[in-house]
Amino acid sequence: MNEARVHQRLRERLLLAPREGDRLVLDDATLRAALEGSRPLTAGDLAALHGSPLTLRRFRHLALARRAAAWQASGGMLRAADSGAALAPLVTDDGNWSLHFVPHDGGWQAILRLDPAAPFAAALLREGPLLHVIDGAGATVLQGRLDADGECEARWPFAQPPAPHFQAHGAAFTVRRTP
Amino acid sequence: MRLPGTRYQEHGWEGVRKLLGGCSLTALRRCELDAVLDAARHAGLLDDYTDALAPVLYADARAQRSAGNSYGDSVGDLAMGLLFELQAQPPFWYAFAAALAAEHAKQGPFWRAPAGDALLRKKVNDMYATLRDKVDADNYTAATGQSCTPNRIYTYRMLDMAYRAIDSVFAGWPGTATQVAAILGRPADAMPIEIRQMKSVAACRPEWIVRWSESLERFTGVPGPLHTRSKRFASLANNVEKIGIMLAEIGAYEQLSANGDGAAWLYDAQASTDWLDDLARVGAEADFAGVADVSPSPRYAAMEAALAALRDEPLPVRQAVFLKLLGPGDDSYPDEWCSGGVLPTLQQLAVAAGVSVPTLRKRRDAVIAQLMERQNGADDE
Repeated sequence: MNEARVHQRLRERLLLAPREGDRLVLDDATLRAALEGSRPLTAGDLAALHGSPLTLRRFRHLALARRAAAWQASGGMLRAADSGAALAPLVTDDGNWSLHFVPHDGGWQAILRLDPAAPFAAALLREGPLLHVIDGAGATVLQGRLDADGECEARWPFAQPPAPHFQAHGAAFTVRRTP
Repeated sequence: MRLPGTRYQEHGWEGVRKLLGGCSLTALRRCELDAVLDAARHAGLLDDYTDALAPVLYADARAQRSAGNSYGDSVGDLAMGLLFELQAQPPFWYAFAAALAAEHAKQGPFWRAPAGDALLRKKVNDMYATLRDKVDADNYTAATGQSCTPNRIYTYRMLDMAYRAIDSVFAGWPGTATQVAAILGRPADAMPIEIRQMKSVAACRPEWIVRWSESLERFTGVPGPLHTRSKRFASLANNVEKIGIMLAEIGAYEQLSANGDGAAWLYDAQASTDWLDDLARVGAEADFAGVADVSPSPRYAAMEAALAALRDEPLPVRQAVFLKLLGPGDDSYPDEWCSGGVLPTLQQLAVAAGVSVPTLRKRRDAVIAQLMERQNGADDE
């Protein structure tokens, strides 16, 4: 029996239910410092936070933004030597990203896909930062923002097809957010 | 119009309003509306109304997958959202009930007449329109850390609407030449360059808003929002600077959010509760030095105790509580609870519990009162 999720949902709904006359009772600096662990809340601060749904909503926003920002980059390697065949999707070592290649208009289309189960997926989609995919030599393969399906696609920018290009440029790639 | 955090945007509102209006008429027909005449029964009536509305609205909302805003929320999602907000913010319901009672004083029980539907629908619309401004004001505050009032949100909406109206007057050139001249404040013989430059709200001058409103009655017979007899926005008519700042804010955020609006998974159940882990951690790390009696806020302590007690309630009672507070369908419900994606109805749960519907409701409401730390909420039996 798995009621843990529904209990969390209920707890969230109850905590965030608006109260009349509520206002922000703690400033962003205090909430951020508590989230980072650099300056703990005082007992009074904590009671104030627990008692103010509006401040809890601000806390929620900052906490989720921080979780999104916590992801900076994921890297991956090509697994096999070039066999001359089309390149299979490349997956980052953490499994959170995959890179697909589709023939298109005589060239190639590169598609970056975020695994919806990635721990930072929802937060990253909410924030929508600019993403870069670079090859092993540091050249940009693709850049853009994820769409609602967690994908970002662009024309393959190099003269060589994807498989030989990656082989010739370090056999590695990195997905990174812009700071 | 997009502003940080706000979810109720103009292009989807028409659909949300109609959905809530239509379903509310159905739900209100199942309630004893005469209860609006007795203020002591208003809270109980809200309970009856939301019980009746939730299944009707949920069924219709699932069919309304059309986009309600530019963040991926559907019209149905947004309408359900307001149902939960109304439960949490009963003053909006009390104002609605008082408005019905006031109409009753003038013309009797109009809701019993077939022609009364239009008025009833209008009162429902008014209630949800004011509620959405409160919801979006809170959303704005949560997203920006700056306090915001429902009135300010209402003003943003008015300014955005005014910009669109001016835009369409400009687009009507040359047929609208005299109105364009009135808005620009100078004769417009050849096509004014402002018409071509008007590409977004950022290019809309605050003086135009004032002159558009001032001259609107001359062109349409209806006074402009800054110049109505109610004087709701009268102070703005003399404050071009403030209008300019608010227009600039709408424009700046519109541009910022125009690309990469990947927020469609925003309220994904799993992700949205991740922050509760952060809250627990921050609570555990809090500094209690010098505090003899370590106690969280009474409200929080009572809620946690009530959540723990909820686990000991029989399954049908727990489900009735979730049905009321989270709705007929929620991503977090275990599959074995649902058929066709929804929880059993209150009637079915009563059968499963082997009790009558009123008995189940009573137990459910007692649990909810504890969860919401609203022990005096059940005094309207």
